[in-house]
Amino acid sequence: MLRRDRWAFAGAVTIVLIGLVALGGTALTALAGQDPYTYHPEALDPQTGGPAGLLGGISGTHWFGVEPLTGRDLFAIVVHGTRTSFLIGLAATALSVVLGVLIGAAAGYLGGWTDRIITWVADVFLGFPYLVFMIAIGLVAPPSIPKQVLLIVVIGFFGWPSVARIVRAQTLTLKKRSFVAAARVLGASPWQVFRTDLLPNLWAPIIVVATLSVPGKIGLEAALSFLNVGVPPPTPSWGRSIFSAIQWVATDPMYLIFPGAALFLTTWAFNVFGDGLRDAIDPKGGVR
Amino acid sequence: MYRKKILAAALTVLAVAACGANDQKPAGGQAAKAEKGGTLFILSEGKTQNYDPAKSSSLAITSLGLVHRRLTGWLNAEGKEAKVIPDLADTGKASDDGKTWTFALKEGQKFHDGTPITSADVKWGVERSFAPAFSGGLGYHKQLLVGGADYRGPFEGKELDSIETPDAKTIVFHLTRPYGDWPWIASMPAFAPVPKGKGAEPDYSEHPFASGPYQVAEYKKGVEVKLTRNPSWDKATDEIRGGLPDQILIKLGLDASVVSQRLVADSGDDQFAFGSSFASPAQLSQIQTNASAKQRLVTSKTGALAYLALNTQKGPLANPKVRQAFQYAVDKSSYQIASAGNAALAGEAATTLITQGIAGREQFDLYSAPPNGDQEKAKKLLAEAGFPNGLENLDFVFNKDNNYTEKAQAVQAALLKAGIKVNLRPLESDAYEAETSLAKDAKYDLTLASWQPDFPSANANIQPLFQSSEIGGGGYNISRYNNPAVDKLIEEAQATIDPAEAGKKWAAIDRKILEDSPVVPLIYTRNSFLHGSKVGDFFIADFPAYPNYLQVGITK
Repeated sequence: MLRRDRWAFAGAVTIVLIGLVALGGTALTALAGQDPYTYHPEALDPQTGGPAGLLGGISGTHWFGVEPLTGRDLFAIVVHGTRTSFLIGLAATALSVVLGVLIGAAAGYLGGWTDRIITWVADVFLGFPYLVFMIAIGLVAPPSIPKQVLLIVVIGFFGWPSVARIVRAQTLTLKKRSFVAAARVLGASPWQVFRTDLLPNLWAPIIVVATLSVPGKIGLEAALSFLNVGVPPPTPSWGRSIFSAIQWVATDPMYLIFPGAALFLTTWAFNVFGDGLRDAIDPKGGVR
Repeated sequence: MYRKKILAAALTVLAVAACGANDQKPAGGQAAKAEKGGTLFILSEGKTQNYDPAKSSSLAITSLGLVHRRLTGWLNAEGKEAKVIPDLADTGKASDDGKTWTFALKEGQKFHDGTPITSADVKWGVERSFAPAFSGGLGYHKQLLVGGADYRGPFEGKELDSIETPDAKTIVFHLTRPYGDWPWIASMPAFAPVPKGKGAEPDYSEHPFASGPYQVAEYKKGVEVKLTRNPSWDKATDEIRGGLPDQILIKLGLDASVVSQRLVADSGDDQFAFGSSFASPAQLSQIQTNASAKQRLVTSKTGALAYLALNTQKGPLANPKVRQAFQYAVDKSSYQIASAGNAALAGEAATTLITQGIAGREQFDLYSAPPNGDQEKAKKLLAEAGFPNGLENLDFVFNKDNNYTEKAQAVQAALLKAGIKVNLRPLESDAYEAETSLAKDAKYDLTLASWQPDFPSANANIQPLFQSSEIGGGGYNISRYNNPAVDKLIEEAQATIDPAEAGKKWAAIDRKILEDSPVVPLIYTRNSFLHGSKVGDFFIADFPAYPNYLQVGITK
């Protein structure tokens, strides 16, 4: 079914490709003979400190050109930045999905006060200015906690309400179905019902909502790095590259284009793939 | 201790200075002679412009000098050493071996409302700087005046007895110890007159009593400050100020990149403007490719010392041998590129603590290495010190403003080649100050900083950074260097009144400190400023690395 949706298929292929780049980044940049940390002052224009040569210094050695002021290979930086984005984006999604499913299913299945409290909390979280909160957490967290872990936890934690809402709604309809009622009458505990009856029927919406939330999380990581509270330098990150590139856009636009394109491509791929997935799983819901 | 946080912020801004063009030939604007009249525009990033002398850390030749005169002033010109010269008073006479200083005020000086300026007004101004409500300005005098340590300002009804005013034209200062640089201290903002009994209101900055060529006519916070002529100012008694423009408009709260773009474009009123902050490397790179703008870029020959501070009280860095390895490990050339695009724009590689252009400075290089450093030698030193596998997990904090992210990465990459692995920890300005200058116990191992002396004496280069009394509590001894022998030498040099003799002592201290290697000097940071095509007499002298606001005018 997905194969018939060409956009979704293109998104899926892009995700696989970017995933491979993230996994094999070191090998790939080694192939180019580069790494994202070595300075190449010889690749810089001695007059300005910007890249020497046209288009940001693109050449056989530096496929995407070099970074101004340092001469670090931009291809290596973008490729290694993929890993940062993917790791944080996927891990944070996994965390928020686990939290969201547990909390949402509990709210839907248990009902009553549990449901009311969870719904209220979820509403508060949805309206919470979480970006400001994340910046604050990033500043006060002790330096001994690796920034990557901190970002995953913080971004993942704030992602649960949207998952929980969908899971809760789905659970509410499932709860009224006879097989769930039968299990309950037979004395199954809520956990057993959740594992054997609810979860198998929740997978489809969970996968869709997870896929659709990945680009948001990757974007959030980039936003935090852009604001200088993401992964610490020199670990490559698209957001930080984009931030420094803005100053250089007049003299070296390629510095902005490559990390920007990488971020765009990744979020685009996840979005169209997620949309396609939703259409395939629930054809009636599609607006396309 | 002399420095409070606000100044700290100001100095980090100085640190940005890392710009500047290589060509030292007079640029277009400099050649043009400014004439009397016209309106000058100053484009500023700050939201406010402080005209309260007690709260100011402004240099004697920049914005505060337009409105206020001080006891003494600075005469600086290109190619000449800065000199302390008479302003409101003469340059002072020392007695009691330099513990007592007497200044005689010039005749006929008036505030803008016509009231005569007396020695009591100068005394009131100095006393006012002790009031907790008006703290934050340069405070070198606060510990030196007898009784200053416990004095809390004149608004609580008490006078500071160590300042005497025997008559309306004479003022006498009694110091706790001999201090040869006191005439320089008398050029600090706190030595501007404030009419006795006035200036109790917190917004005095917005309507100060002017003694200089201009008065504050209009003050719109975050928008602009309008300075108009002060009718009482007499050019004949003022050697320091040109007072050329009829009016000066300071535009506040502008974005640095917007200022840079406007000055590059040079259209309309921007032709009569200059920017008060320096361009980032990216902006400089753009200016380099624009012939007209490049001509209007004025660069200092030298400037603040940028350095890598090593926490001498922590872990392996407590060992001087380990610290010496850092002198060879750093790559000053890549630091220059990170600061301003290339070596010539950034400023020369530094090897001494006393900055260029300061009297008594001796050029030496204890750790001579190629521009890219000598990482092999660093490894050898580390091995001799008992670290054959290098160092790991050193905590490297830095202020994330002012391109320090790029600079810190350049240092990190070089150290890595020498087997020294550091973890970068970027901090916001406030958090950075809290962890470095304000912290009692420091967690960091290394940090980057920059220091421009507040007055052109080696004293102001060395004492704030290396005396043990300056560790923590807002002091700038961020390498936490504590050497009683050096402390003693600093006090001795400060007590020396003859400048030539004092200069020799400071040069010896410079060498002695560097032998211990608490900091790695990186570059003498050049500053570049951009001005419009109709701005004349815009120059940066050897000290300080800032344009002289007092001489700038409009060309016809």
